[in-house]
Amino acid sequence: MRKVLKSVSFFIFLCLTASLFLIGPALAGGEFKLEDMSDMSDFDPNNFQNPTGDTFKIGVLQIFSGPGAGNGELFWITTCWVAHDINKRGGIMIDGKKKLIEVIKGDTMGKPATTKKAAEKLVLEDKVDVLWGTSGSHLALVIQGVADRYKKIFHQSLSMSDSLMDEKNFNKYTFQTMWSTNQVGETTAYFYSQRKKEKKFYIICQDYLFGHSLAESFKKGLTKYYPEAEVVGEDYHPLFAKDFAPYLTKAKASGAEVIFTGDWLPDGGNLVKQARQLGVNVPFANIFIDEPNALSAIGPEGTKGLVNLNQYMGDANNEKGMAFGNKWKELWETKWEAPYNTLLYKWPGGTIGYAVETTYWMLDVFNRAGSSDPEKVIKVWEGDVYKGIGGNRLEMRACDHVVIRDTYATEYVYPNPWFTELSSGTEVFTIPAEKSMPVDGARCK
Amino acid sequence: MSPVTAMYVAQAIHGLTYGMLLFLVASGLTLIFGMMGILNLAHASFFMLSAYFCYQVVAWTDSFWIALILAPIGTGLVGIIVERFLLRKVQKLGLGHIGDLLLTLGIALVISEAVKTIWGTESHQVLIPPSLQGLVTVAGLEYPIYRLFIIGLSLVILGALAFILFKTRLGMIIRAAVSDRDMVSALGINMPRVFMFVFGVGTLMAGVAGVAAAPMLTVFPGLADQIGLDAFVVVVVGGFGSLLGAVVVSLFLGELNSFGIQFIPRLAPVLVFLFMALVLSFKPMGFFGERDE
Repeated sequence: MRKVLKSVSFFIFLCLTASLFLIGPALAGGEFKLEDMSDMSDFDPNNFQNPTGDTFKIGVLQIFSGPGAGNGELFWITTCWVAHDINKRGGIMIDGKKKLIEVIKGDTMGKPATTKKAAEKLVLEDKVDVLWGTSGSHLALVIQGVADRYKKIFHQSLSMSDSLMDEKNFNKYTFQTMWSTNQVGETTAYFYSQRKKEKKFYIICQDYLFGHSLAESFKKGLTKYYPEAEVVGEDYHPLFAKDFAPYLTKAKASGAEVIFTGDWLPDGGNLVKQARQLGVNVPFANIFIDEPNALSAIGPEGTKGLVNLNQYMGDANNEKGMAFGNKWKELWETKWEAPYNTLLYKWPGGTIGYAVETTYWMLDVFNRAGSSDPEKVIKVWEGDVYKGIGGNRLEMRACDHVVIRDTYATEYVYPNPWFTELSSGTEVFTIPAEKSMPVDGARCK
Repeated sequence: MSPVTAMYVAQAIHGLTYGMLLFLVASGLTLIFGMMGILNLAHASFFMLSAYFCYQVVAWTDSFWIALILAPIGTGLVGIIVERFLLRKVQKLGLGHIGDLLLTLGIALVISEAVKTIWGTESHQVLIPPSLQGLVTVAGLEYPIYRLFIIGLSLVILGALAFILFKTRLGMIIRAAVSDRDMVSALGINMPRVFMFVFGVGTLMAGVAGVAAAPMLTVFPGLADQIGLDAFVVVVVGGFGSLLGAVVVSLFLGELNSFGIQFIPRLAPVLVFLFMALVLSFKPMGFFGERDE
């Protein structure tokens, strides 16, 4: 009898061990490993060579035409970079075989109707395995609808509205790796609450839903972390405003010590540029005014003191992040041609950095799922933890599919290790994830 | 000067600066419409094209001043080519305003795509020349030299335009043509050549505005949208074809924008359109426009 029990126990032990080996990789979180990266010296963003045959397809939904086409260019290089790297490593494991990554453009033109058409074309004609994008929460919402209808995973990598994954809009096929407005508000407020140097804030944001909700999040964050701070004024200007002087004159007269803005370019750049031209030297706390081409026109002196809040940030003291950054920069210096040879692409920081990082994560999730079957991918990605480029922790909150991560703040100084043409951040202040949380979305409450 | 007074004075000068910039754009538009009857939908695109020319000339020569001369001339030349080889042909087809509108809309789209093809979709920056950088202090108020330069430049252009229109034979012909071009033509004046000149000058004015605005704004493919709508409001409210209307309404809209932001910021963006609706309700031809009997 004892012998039988021993045999059964041994058999169970063997089964458990084997199953751990088999499903272990799927259970364990992934990690970006620099040492695994392939030789990228032949990577040319202008002539990205898509593989042919039975591939794993990413449908990149962005603005690829019209005035906003620069956005498309920006995220084309990030997805192509990751695809090129993974392809040189042999691809990812899908349905028992290694598949190379193909990247297909879907032009949203910045319009909801076109976005829907582009997303449906990617799903129905191009048969993509995953949808990726996009700038503009109203457009992301359209893609979420397409993802839900056709049961396709949507890697929502670029839109920030808190409501995208709330009870009303949540669907299980969408995973948001972009931080949200609440995280920005809390990040900014927490940073200033720790710094305790400035107390008077003026808000200048763009006059549409995003600008208003960002301002609300910031005010909410101040109430939570820095109640002694004061918002001395707030203004909302139309998109693509021509003249910021009237707003800046009001801000200056209010005695503000910091202007908080969620303006993206070109508004953000014009805002700072015109402020410096007017002699308004108040620092701007911002999330999008980190575009080096725009800042180089303002120069090192004018860009000093800007405070950039971000979910990804180049940090000279982060060995892993720097090693990755230097690989990228070396190619920028020696290989890339227009439009990828401007200062914007010199370092994979900010926007470029998090787009690259989260695309690695997404492909790693598919690889661990071993399938493009959405149900299997959902099981792996929900609650998944991934170690990013700098060793930072990314967690996909299971209840609403929104990323939880540390965020960062830095004050621009000159000189700095990044650019000679402008001020930039040297000291990176990390805001712990628990201090910059997204709002509780669907199924979290 | 007390800080509050300084703030209001600064707002007034901001309004003046923006108003003058608006005048530079709108004056060409109103001139072209007044004389040729063409509502040039590509006008703001010429403004943008000149900003790109400015960026390019500065990149080549490192001189804003050379760009200030060459970029508007280049834009004016493009305008002349458009009038001579496209507009004139379309007008001969007898399609009326529809033909002009469709053609100028097409030209706007071509310019928009052309700048992207030539200069890419990324943003470009033009720096203020060193001699115009910094601030001047007047009665305790610090104000940027460059913005004062825009006001001065616009006044010079306004003066030159007024001189040409009211003190020269050419101006007399243009004014007469605004009133009755058939009669002027019957007097033996080569009207096609005058039209070409006016269209060229109109686009050149947009070009001057493009260069003046470039260091304040960002040169990017959406630049035309930034100012085009306001310029159309100026022309409509001032009265189609009225230079005086363009001056007065540009300045008024500039001030309305500044003080609107100062006192009722939430409503400021719509004040311009409210004003337009109000004026057109009482004066459908605009302040200085004349009813075409």
